[in-house]
Amino acid sequence: MEITFEHVTHSYDVNSPTANLGLDDVTLKIKNGLFTAIIGQTGSGKSTLVRHINALLKPTSGTITIGDRVITSDTNNKNLKPLRKQIGMVFQFPESQLFEETVEKDIMFGPMNFGATETEAREAARTVIKLVGLDESYLTQSPFDLSGGQMRRVAIAGVLASDPETIILDEPTAGLDPVGRKEIMSLFKDLQVKGKTIILITHNMDDVANYADAMAVIHRGKLIAQGFPKEVFNNQELLKNDLITLPKSAEFAKGLMQQGFHFDKLPITIDELGTEIKHQLNGD
Amino acid sequence: MEKIISIANLNYTYPDAKQAAINDLSLDIYKNEWISIVGKNGSGKSTLTKLIDGLIEADSGTISVAGQIINEDNIWEARKKIGIIFQNPDHQFVGATVEDDVAFGLENQGMPREQMVKEIDRALELVKMSDFKKRDPQSLSGGQKQRVAIAGVLATKPQIIIMDESTSMLDPDGRKTVLNLVQQLRKEQDLTIISITHDIEETELSQRIVVLNTGKIVKDGKPVEIYDLGTDLRKYGLEEPFSSKLMSTLRDTVKLPEGYLSEEELEQQLWKLHSNM
Repeated sequence: MEITFEHVTHSYDVNSPTANLGLDDVTLKIKNGLFTAIIGQTGSGKSTLVRHINALLKPTSGTITIGDRVITSDTNNKNLKPLRKQIGMVFQFPESQLFEETVEKDIMFGPMNFGATETEAREAARTVIKLVGLDESYLTQSPFDLSGGQMRRVAIAGVLASDPETIILDEPTAGLDPVGRKEIMSLFKDLQVKGKTIILITHNMDDVANYADAMAVIHRGKLIAQGFPKEVFNNQELLKNDLITLPKSAEFAKGLMQQGFHFDKLPITIDELGTEIKHQLNGD
Repeated sequence: MEKIISIANLNYTYPDAKQAAINDLSLDIYKNEWISIVGKNGSGKSTLTKLIDGLIEADSGTISVAGQIINEDNIWEARKKIGIIFQNPDHQFVGATVEDDVAFGLENQGMPREQMVKEIDRALELVKMSDFKKRDPQSLSGGQKQRVAIAGVLATKPQIIIMDESTSMLDPDGRKTVLNLVQQLRKEQDLTIISITHDIEETELSQRIVVLNTGKIVKDGKPVEIYDLGTDLRKYGLEEPFSSKLMSTLRDTVKLPEGYLSEEELEQQLWKLHSNM
């Protein structure tokens, strides 16, 4: 399902003289089946942007096309269920939204809300719990007896249970330890390989470099850059104006350039950086 | 070295939990030290800070702060010596302006207005945020917000500052500024810093790292000793530092010294190899 933003503006307070533009004339295409990262400082409009994709927010002007669905300022709130079933949204600290007495019931809530039978929902719970790296024994436990990391997985499983085509993630690994973070990010990469479209909001540039195929940079409500991560992280204009921060490997490579190394383009992952350094030292 | 916090045989189990969150833990923290407490989610890091700050009460064992064993009667006295900076700067603001926000802790102490103004100015000066004192905290960047949060804590003149994952939501620049600021304040104001983190890069400025696992201390050493654990760090939910990861990708064909090198040291090594070509 391709997602297209055309001249989308979102004003938070239309009638105020200081109308606050959450989004300012954004035109953007999010391609089907790709892993797209959306970056920008706190308050830049990233969350406002993704909330338009499942019509939690509607544009003040402009249109958003999701597959064959078109959302404009006039779109009414009826019949949004099919869209929301297709677009799964994992909010920040999703574990705070767990509420049922067992993990199973919590995971079943989404599919049943979208019309699945109890049997189907139970079957879905059994499948997704394993997908997020927990075994079936967790299904009968109370979500509140689990650790923070396990609760996060259960909350993600709840979103996956409705089998959405597109999954939007708002800082899904905030607060997780590095090993847990890697596991969760690999899970989303796997889902993408299996055909899902992934949209990730993040502050972590290493996650962008390691997992994303495409990225978009939002600054004060405007889309200021989009493209392959390697291209965007090498965009001199953005770097000069401090509009992006670099992944660790690119930062280190910049230091090496002052020590006589040469990079046509800054490498953005450790593997790329390692390969480049070896190449330059060994001359192979 | 003078002990500022002394923890002896501490135990704590959450109600209805099967496993102890803190398991017979003993630890001495020295005055003016920067100690990092690391470990995976659920290792007991946050529980330990809640116990130190008296937010929860231990099942057994003792905690002394500045020579006094904490009990019900003196907990408020002890808490005045400790300031906490939390993870999410957005959850810490109560004031409409930066200076109101810094004032909050002082108002709670019932400080007279005139003295309060002085203290606020002093605290904002220390974190280099004086120019922002009339601003709405929500208009600041993440790093600036955390500096204001630090000012709020400094205004109450604590001896100990606990940083509870307080740079984890900042971008790299914001993180660097906050960490360097904390380091400078530690030296100038004779503060003791306890930082709780699972980001190994954040521990670089500390003098000692304690690794927790299932409520126990499993390692206690200088940063270099802990970084030398390499991939073993993953057992504790942690990653090796960036320089170590890069070195392992290079080792097969590039001759590098054994053991841990900091990023600067690694850069120097690579520069030497490059100039000898």
